[in-house]
Amino acid sequence: MSLYILPKERLPGFVDNLRAGFRVVGPVRTETGYAFADIRSADELVLEYPTTILPPKKYLLPQRETLFTFRTGKAEDGAQQIEVEPVFQDVQPTVIFGVHTCDMHGIVLYDKVFSQGYKDEHYCARREQTYIIGIECLRPCDDASFCKDMGTLTAPPVYDLHMTAVDDNYLIDTGTEKGERLLLANVEAHLATTDDIRRLSQTLSAKWPHFRHRLKMTKDQIPSLMAINYGSHIWDTLGERCLACGSCTNVCPTCFCFDVQDEMALNMEEGERARMWDSCQLREFALVAGGHNFRASKASRVRHRMMRKGKYIQQVHGITGCTGCGRCQRACLVDITIPGTLNALYDEMQIDLSSATGA
Amino acid sequence: MLAKPKIAFFDFTSCEGCQLTVIDALQTHLGLLDLVEIVQFREAMSEKGDDYQIAFIEGSCTRESDEQRLRAIRQQAMIVVALGACAHLGGVNAMKNRWPIEDVQTYVYGQAGRNLYESYPARPISEVIEVDYAIPGCPIDREEFVRIVQRLLQGRKPKLPDYPLCVECKLAENACLNKLGKPCLGPITRAGCHAICPSHGDGCEGCRGFISEANFTYMREILRGHGLSDVEIDAQFTMFNYYQLAAMGADAPLSQINGNGHRRHAADAEVLPASTFAAPKEA
Repeated sequence: MSLYILPKERLPGFVDNLRAGFRVVGPVRTETGYAFADIRSADELVLEYPTTILPPKKYLLPQRETLFTFRTGKAEDGAQQIEVEPVFQDVQPTVIFGVHTCDMHGIVLYDKVFSQGYKDEHYCARREQTYIIGIECLRPCDDASFCKDMGTLTAPPVYDLHMTAVDDNYLIDTGTEKGERLLLANVEAHLATTDDIRRLSQTLSAKWPHFRHRLKMTKDQIPSLMAINYGSHIWDTLGERCLACGSCTNVCPTCFCFDVQDEMALNMEEGERARMWDSCQLREFALVAGGHNFRASKASRVRHRMMRKGKYIQQVHGITGCTGCGRCQRACLVDITIPGTLNALYDEMQIDLSSATGA
Repeated sequence: MLAKPKIAFFDFTSCEGCQLTVIDALQTHLGLLDLVEIVQFREAMSEKGDDYQIAFIEGSCTRESDEQRLRAIRQQAMIVVALGACAHLGGVNAMKNRWPIEDVQTYVYGQAGRNLYESYPARPISEVIEVDYAIPGCPIDREEFVRIVQRLLQGRKPKLPDYPLCVECKLAENACLNKLGKPCLGPITRAGCHAICPSHGDGCEGCRGFISEANFTYMREILRGHGLSDVEIDAQFTMFNYYQLAAMGADAPLSQINGNGHRRHAADAEVLPASTFAAPKEA
């Protein structure tokens, strides 16, 4: 793929041209921060933003999504019958602008989860019409970020276009052919020169010292750390604090669990089946017939989430279940954090030589 | 499904705001009137029929003479639904239970008027009669009301969320009020209102009741972090949920008030705040 250079002043024109043919969403300023929202005019788009409450996953897996509609009635012979009509909600040419590298790693996982094995038609239909335009992070969002530890500080190969701000220009890497066509059809951009590439390299190298490590272990050590600590008492301590509010999973770019419910229309003959985001942190998530609950205690639910992020997803999909975006930490009111938990588990595993020899 | 079941609405101690929401729902969801026949609804019509199958009851039970009327409704109705926080929880009416009833009567009606009206500690209607389902909230949520009516007509059990408001608040992508230093009971309160108050910048006051695993200990810690005193936190917890917390007795997550409605420390004997209203003139 190729590298293009686009003067920053041409960005609004690019966005406006895209808006003619696409639903364009991206980070915008809100009363208290930033959120991904529909871009109604190019000046709403803010590419230098720290973080958002919800990641852009909401465009790939809507919070509530109709899967099909149904109509009940009686056939001529009087037998009960039901007609079903599939629905593909929010499937339209869409550009998600300004996706941070951590969130792109989240999309990598989503793509695996929803397209491999059992293929989710609704997700895939939407995804096929979605363009991802990434933005290189040159500074950490805030103290909650630990992307450097999780190896999500560089863009994974999921983007159609990826932009890096270099002085008064954006250096734009084309990740896909359709991305390149999208760029060239909507704005005048030139191939980067050797000099541009050198400046891009300098910018990319210079950003690393601004990001700090928060974990005491390497990313590769996390799955075994989790395995060893399945029985740790730490889960009880965290379970006591946990409000079971589900905020951590709702804001997580890699959480994808959903519930499915049928709802009737007012005429009581038609209805629809919809799926909506669910959370393993809620009491009823693992509640089954007969009133049995596989994870009745909050401790077991907190542990389950940490295990998913640190171990299970790695085992099933081969990539880490946590992107280090820090959203769950920002959302938590009782200071349950992934780095804090992993570090506490790590500390416990170390042999305390001072007390062993000092006795 | 029942063939156009007859339904009726009744009110006890309440502001009737939940019935207003029902009237509202009948205007936005006209199809409801094709599904049910309303035979009694004092706030909306003058006809009165007593052959109803489903009774919706708004208001708490705050006097002895209410009990017989409640029992009569129970005897007639196949299904009894508590409509709104007062019927469901006791609601704000139960705040008065913190003081001896004579003091409350004197406070409200003055020395001369204190015996004019019958009153006793407020209770949710489920303390008097068997209640099949509840539609929570102050007032109720219109969409939830419609959904529950539909479920009843289908013969399905209405289901209330048993997770906190934070879920809906996050989905609305609201900035967390507790994070901004503004007290909000969202983390312990039952969802289902689409976090309407926090979405407009007001902290949740718990009108839909608490979730089954409400973490009062850490909710208190969060509120202390906002500079609230324990007494103020007790007041937050008990605004809509005094009855439930008092029923927990010594286990109630309150710092000052014990289960009998009396303060834990006799030395702190609480005086009623000065009345905003003038006492009625002596006859």
